[in-house]
Amino acid sequence: MDTRRFEWSNIIGTAIKYAVLLLIMVIVLFPIYWMVITSFKGRLELTTYPPTLFPKNIILDNYRDAFSDSDIPRYMLNSVIVVGVSTLISLFFGTLAGYSLARFAFTPTFKRQISFWILSTRMIPPIVTIIPIFLIYRNLQLLNTYAGMIIVYVGFTLPFTTWMMRAFVREVPVDLEEAAMVDGDTRLTALLRIVLPLTAPGLVATAIFSLILVWNEFLFALILTTTSATITLPVGISGFVSQFEVLWGQMSAVGTVAIIPILIFTLAVQRYLVRGLTLGAVK
Amino acid sequence: MDVQYEHLTKKFGAVTALDDFTLHVPDGDFLVLLGPSGCGKTTALRCLAGLEKPTSGIIRIGGKVVNRLQPRDRDVALVFQSYALYPQMTVGNNIMYPLRIRHIPKEERLRMAHDVARRLEIDALFDRRPNQLSGGQRQRVALARAIVRNPNVFLMDEPLSNLDARLRVNMRAELKHLQKTLGTTTVYVTHDQAEAMTMADRIAVMRDGRLEQVGTPDEIYFSPETVYVAGFVGSPAMNLLNVRVDSASRALVGDGFSLSATSVLEAHAVDETKHYILGVRPEHLTLSLEAHPGSIAGAVYAVEPMGNETLVYVKVGQSTLVARADAMLRAAVNTPCWLEIREDRLLLFDAETERRVPRR
Repeated sequence: MDTRRFEWSNIIGTAIKYAVLLLIMVIVLFPIYWMVITSFKGRLELTTYPPTLFPKNIILDNYRDAFSDSDIPRYMLNSVIVVGVSTLISLFFGTLAGYSLARFAFTPTFKRQISFWILSTRMIPPIVTIIPIFLIYRNLQLLNTYAGMIIVYVGFTLPFTTWMMRAFVREVPVDLEEAAMVDGDTRLTALLRIVLPLTAPGLVATAIFSLILVWNEFLFALILTTTSATITLPVGISGFVSQFEVLWGQMSAVGTVAIIPILIFTLAVQRYLVRGLTLGAVK
Repeated sequence: MDVQYEHLTKKFGAVTALDDFTLHVPDGDFLVLLGPSGCGKTTALRCLAGLEKPTSGIIRIGGKVVNRLQPRDRDVALVFQSYALYPQMTVGNNIMYPLRIRHIPKEERLRMAHDVARRLEIDALFDRRPNQLSGGQRQRVALARAIVRNPNVFLMDEPLSNLDARLRVNMRAELKHLQKTLGTTTVYVTHDQAEAMTMADRIAVMRDGRLEQVGTPDEIYFSPETVYVAGFVGSPAMNLLNVRVDSASRALVGDGFSLSATSVLEAHAVDETKHYILGVRPEHLTLSLEAHPGSIAGAVYAVEPMGNETLVYVKVGQSTLVARADAMLRAAVNTPCWLEIREDRLLLFDAETERRVPRR
């Protein structure tokens, strides 16, 4: 009698679990799905009611219109350059800073202050700083430049990369660097040859998070860029919302293309991502 | 090269790890820094390696002051307790690492590495990774990496403590033999007094950042300067009893016994008003189940047959003494017994200063 009841509740429990998971998955993925199918719909189909869950006719017009004879490819290039370079710079200095915080014996007071200082940069709503930065940039003629955008994005991501790299460097036993230094390394070469290879998963995880952080950044890109020379993709996509109409189809086409680089990158490194995320968990 | 510590002091904030530490290690010597955790021995080693900066004091290698030199410029090799093998490299690359840094050509590097690997019998493991090796094998790789560059000084930080007991005993002999063959000055840190006794040319016993005594194993064992050294070296530990001198009966009087000790009192300058500590090692006590004149009476507390000998714990007054007895001896608890002390091996320590009273 008992075993049958146990089986029954077990089945119901599992069914409910799966149902909930399915529901969450649908909620999360639906906007993306909708964006992709919208990009393949013709103008007429876009405005039919009820909306179709799958395009009746698959049309490539949106892609054609959005990409040919437009600035979108340029916007993509700008995004790649600005985000890529700022991530690299951020990783470089973040690793050095994280290493210093992890290894050198600062007083506890100093450590606390530095930690707070790093975290505090994330406490300020970005919009508070946008006007001062705009004015400064105007004076320094950094508006509408790659350099200007890169500087801002490094500012965004540096606290974050420092914080993460410090944790990953801590995972590497100090013994190894000391052995290398006695063997003949300077601290720097020991860092490069011994520590860095061992923090590789962490480095990758940090790179991904950093990248994602700024790929979608809108506010600063909007204010600090003015021409297609530097306008990034998020701002470019918003340009499809014009005074007269919203070009849903083309916007979706660009959106679909925009997520591809990040998707590929993440798929390629996800193996390291999981390792990097859980590395700190088990001592 | 010889090593010289001159008044070395190292503080970590409020904690003094080394206090006015002065020690000379002659060239080619195997010196063991012996002491419990926290006594400063590892700190002394790391200061020599250059991994810690002394608060004050001077360190010399081969007469040259090395305080300002980076670890890589001191020409010392360090074997870590954890071995510190580079996990991402093969055994061969681990061994060759110090050579690679010095830009020694590849062929030469390989030859030197294989030579050392063969000598330590790990040549077969040359292409394996550290995580594929056993503890003993890893330790040999760490040794090989230290030997391959033929440094002026070997530094070893409890390299045997992570090995199982049997392997440890084997490696003790091998390490000692290796050091004698190479003739390199070695500073070896351990808390294991058996390791110190078996391997050292000289032992430096340390306590709370200070040097208690330095001497050959024999000197440390038979002529300890302080109660601390006497109790630290030797297992089972030396028996220590509180006594006073009774010059009238020419005896040493303690809790529950009165030991007639004419020759001892003649050999030492003693004072009736002072308290002393009597020290005698278990092997210098003779246990007898019959009364003897001049021996201490007690009762059997516990018997430990070791196979090659039997350790007998004897209760005398409130104290418990240990004696080494014949392997076949067995006795029931509370059996009355008598302990005879070998007078020439009896040591007297001033109870206040804890220093040994020297023989006249």
